[in-house]
Amino acid sequence: MENRLEMRGMTKRYGDFTANDNVSFTLKEGEVHAIVGENGAGKTTLMRMLYGMEQPTAGEIAVNGKPVVFRGPEDAIRHGIGMVHQHFMLFPDFTVAENIVIGYEPQRKGLFQRKEAASAVRSLSERYRIPINENAKVSSCSVGEQQRVEILKVLYQGADIIVLDEPTAVLTPLEVKELLQTIRHLAESGKSVILITHKLQEVMEVADRVTVLRGGRVTGTVSRSETNADDLARMMVGRELQQLSDRVRLEGKPLLRVQGLNVREKQTLVDDVTFSVHHGEIVGIAGVSGNGQSELLEALTGLRAVSEGKVYLGEKDVTGQSVAAIREAGLAHIPEDRYLWGTAKRESVEENALMGYQRKPEYMRRGVVLRSKFRRVVEEWVERFAIKTGSLHLKEQAGNLSGGNLQKLIVARELGQNTPLLIAAEPTRGVDIGAMEYIHQALLEKRNNGDGILLVSSELTEILALSDRILVMYKGRIAGELTRSEATEEKISVLMAGGSVYGSSQAAM
Amino acid sequence: MAAVKQLCKSLVQPLLAVIIGLLTGALVIAAVGESIIGTYQEMWKGAFGSFYFLTSTLARATPIMLIGLGLSLAFRAGVFNLGAEGQMVTGAISATLVALYLPAPGFVKMVAALVTGVLAGGLWSLFAGYLEARFRIQLLISSLLLNYVAVLFAGYLVSEPFQDKTGSAAMAQTPMLEKSVWLPKLFAGMSVHAGFLFALAAALLIFFVIRYTPFGYEVKMLGQNPFFSRYGGVNRVRVMLTGMFFSGGLAGLAGTVEVLGSHYRYVEGALTLPNFAWTGLMATLLANSHPIGVVFTSLLLAALQTGAMGVERNTDVPLELASVIQAVLILFISAKFSYDWWKNRNNKRRESHGAV
Amino acid sequence: MELFDWSLVSSTIRMVTPILLAALGGALCSRVGIFNVGLEGLILVGAFSAIVGNHFTGSLLLALLFAALVTVLFSLLFAYMTIGLRANEIVVGVAINFLGLGLTTFALRAVFDVKGAFYDKDMAGLPQWQIPLIKDIPVLGDIISGHSPLVYFAFLAAVLLHFFFTRTVTGFRALAVGMNATAARSLGLKATRLQVLAIVMCGVLCGMAGAQLSLGQVTMFTEGMTAGRGFIALVAMMLGQAHPLGILASSFLFGLMDALSIRLQGFSLPTQFTAMLPYVLTIAAMFFLKDKGASSAGSSQQSTR
Repeated sequence: MENRLEMRGMTKRYGDFTANDNVSFTLKEGEVHAIVGENGAGKTTLMRMLYGMEQPTAGEIAVNGKPVVFRGPEDAIRHGIGMVHQHFMLFPDFTVAENIVIGYEPQRKGLFQRKEAASAVRSLSERYRIPINENAKVSSCSVGEQQRVEILKVLYQGADIIVLDEPTAVLTPLEVKELLQTIRHLAESGKSVILITHKLQEVMEVADRVTVLRGGRVTGTVSRSETNADDLARMMVGRELQQLSDRVRLEGKPLLRVQGLNVREKQTLVDDVTFSVHHGEIVGIAGVSGNGQSELLEALTGLRAVSEGKVYLGEKDVTGQSVAAIREAGLAHIPEDRYLWGTAKRESVEENALMGYQRKPEYMRRGVVLRSKFRRVVEEWVERFAIKTGSLHLKEQAGNLSGGNLQKLIVARELGQNTPLLIAAEPTRGVDIGAMEYIHQALLEKRNNGDGILLVSSELTEILALSDRILVMYKGRIAGELTRSEATEEKISVLMAGGSVYGSSQAAM
Repeated sequence: MAAVKQLCKSLVQPLLAVIIGLLTGALVIAAVGESIIGTYQEMWKGAFGSFYFLTSTLARATPIMLIGLGLSLAFRAGVFNLGAEGQMVTGAISATLVALYLPAPGFVKMVAALVTGVLAGGLWSLFAGYLEARFRIQLLISSLLLNYVAVLFAGYLVSEPFQDKTGSAAMAQTPMLEKSVWLPKLFAGMSVHAGFLFALAAALLIFFVIRYTPFGYEVKMLGQNPFFSRYGGVNRVRVMLTGMFFSGGLAGLAGTVEVLGSHYRYVEGALTLPNFAWTGLMATLLANSHPIGVVFTSLLLAALQTGAMGVERNTDVPLELASVIQAVLILFISAKFSYDWWKNRNNKRRESHGAV
Repeated sequence: MELFDWSLVSSTIRMVTPILLAALGGALCSRVGIFNVGLEGLILVGAFSAIVGNHFTGSLLLALLFAALVTVLFSLLFAYMTIGLRANEIVVGVAINFLGLGLTTFALRAVFDVKGAFYDKDMAGLPQWQIPLIKDIPVLGDIISGHSPLVYFAFLAAVLLHFFFTRTVTGFRALAVGMNATAARSLGLKATRLQVLAIVMCGVLCGMAGAQLSLGQVTMFTEGMTAGRGFIALVAMMLGQAHPLGILASSFLFGLMDALSIRLQGFSLPTQFTAMLPYVLTIAAMFFLKDKGASSAGSSQQSTR
């Protein structure tokens, strides 16, 4: 069978950095070809070149045997390549149909034929068995529905090659199942699918072939029947994973107590949540993102108003206190979005490190911040966490640090507060495996020292690896609690989808 | 070493902008059919040609600098205060009334007037801040609208209840202040007055506060990323309101020293017609909100204006030469933003493949 | 004199026109995600070039075309700086205002060799169109008929703009660009082209606003004759949520207040208070509109540094 897509010797350099080094890749008609690799392995760069968003330094692309050069996404789209981005490219105020046809609208004399658009979308959705409501506004659609809109959009644009970039990260287990079925169905009707992911179970379920990237190079292309998840993991990481240190058994007193917490804002976001975190314990909160975890954390840390309920930190009632007061009472916080909440990108490493310390008496004299004293502390952090700061060292702009190094800086800053309670939200999102191991190790050490940690993560493996107890959130409620020994990925998945009744999880989100 | 390099780099762009501004000015001068060199010579003379002109330039720079410094504080905090004009006028008229009617000895009255000017400007500015903090009315718009209200209200005060009725023509102005409340001149017979020293002191103070105090740090971080500063325990509303108060207070002081130092009465239009507020805004933008930078950019813009007055006196080139050069300056300084943007964009790219 | 009568409506309509035209221009920019503070400068340039065009060609039509052309050139400068060089919109807008003021004053000297104002008694202003049939209807005829062509153009422009955004493909895409430029680009939409197009159209509208000022109400140009109308238009645009019909309503409010404040002067109220009314009312109106509109200028909140 002829290759529908061929990429040969793709290389991309940014200055000294080589993001893709001589990467070759082929895709057949009706094939699902997965590209796996850890963060920073070069998956995204490769796809950006395929979609015309980046120009390769070297290498060539051929579609249906003919060499092509893509100067922009429109060129790629014209050659039948469609991309479903990790962050959806949708217009919330437009309807589903409008979002699907945009750029290729049915028109007469320049006038937008909205009815035709809706019926075209309707029939497309029926043909590929992808259910949507074409007249709904996208802002009212669930994440799963939005993803279906994205898939239909590339089909509408006439794509034969569909690129799905980390498509399952935001989905509930049921939605994942449906998506995998859709992918198989697309392949059977002759479409070719490139699936970019780091979730190996999904790859084993749906892919025909798998290409593994590491450090910008291909470490191998194998067909699914000849491999297994363990082999793939080894090809991805290139070494055995480090073991976390043992956990010390601790029986601590309760540290954080949350009683009947409610957060409402037009609708109920956190619904009657009660739990506690003890000294020497990591409590993990699992759940599909968007089920109230962010709002819960914001309420606990003082960033969002509490509608009802109580929060005690130690013996102190901190309900509805200011962020500063709660931090003072003994809380540090690794935020879930390091760029939005965790840093000021254009300020230096040092300025970013100072946040939360600017009014500490030990770094102040007569109303002036003792910069040099604090600088020595930051130097220690940089050393301890092996943070690569770049040529200007502490004066380097935080935005110039890689995601992993920036995250390590944030973790160091919050651990440096030495508070009894640490809230860690998505502490390793988007960082490479090396940084992840560092951070996990640091969190575990803090726990073994008798401090409490509330961990929120959308990665089940992270929750399972670190937590002593696991709470599962669904629609703003605690849907269930599992101890470390009884927790399994399956049990958590069921709770994440809203209990054991699969049918009812349709309404998730 | 790296610091020196950085400094040089940060100077290249403003210098380039000045050169392009002067070149554009040359084009315009040529269009009116005047000698380019001759006109620029007149301009130089008008701004720095003698001790008298030099001190006039300093006098002109005083309100610009004070307003620019106030705005730089607001901009640092990420608050786009467009209400400097109203704040200046509110400060000036309140200070004038205190200086006219407070029954106290001269020096006390002067100090009281200065304090009143700062307070009135600050409170007027605080009002816009309060509207944003409490009712989410965009400060950018409300501060702009409040300008008109303040200027018109002050205009009413000096044309009706507090008008100077002694003069032959019914001008919209207050009576003359008594000599004891006048701000001293720095040099006898020259127009620069003690207000200039206030401006310099304010620049140093703001520089120090931003650089070394927790409040300054919080202002800066609030401007850089409000989410981050909230997360770090910064009280957004308090920092914003404090910033707005001092921002408006400095604008009020600018109006006050103009009254106490050069007009000795509130004259309608005397503060608004020379466009002090917008020039102050430009000084801040040119200096990228750096307080020490504002000192120099205000001097530059003031020199352009006094220089252009000299040009107008001695040639056929109109005063607005200054406006043209200023505008071009600003346009090309803003191209620096684009350079930053490019840098950031490239960084973002590096990041997006490096870590995501 | 009565406080309210039908001629008040008629004078309101005249007052509204420049504000409406410029506000529509501002709305076009706002809808593609650009906050244009330079309206004031653009109107001023339009007013001046309309007079220049009229003076040298003697044709009103050519004068309008010339005004449009020059203002478009000016707005292209805005476009180049903001889109091409990615400079801060507010900064460039402020600069455009200064440049407009400086260059028109300068050119007034260079072209006409006068200071302050240029007035030529032989110069014809825009005609007042008497609309057949309608002009004979009592009351309505006085209100609707007898305005300059640009008055009708302004109201037509509001309706057309509304049609453009709701019915045409280009309008739909323009909205998409304003909502999420990154997403629009990823779809291969010509985001930059649409933004430039919007800025150019804004230039045309501001040019017409200026022409109405210098050739419609009076037939002269004075330095800084816009007297803050560009900012009022900006406020009207925000008050109208950048929606063409909303802007029609908000501009009308401003025009009415303007006309009313002139009328109120006859009632021995200090003129300052009547002149203040539109601004106070706008602030008051913002209490009710505070949630929306935030997007139009919200981006500028942190923009200066």
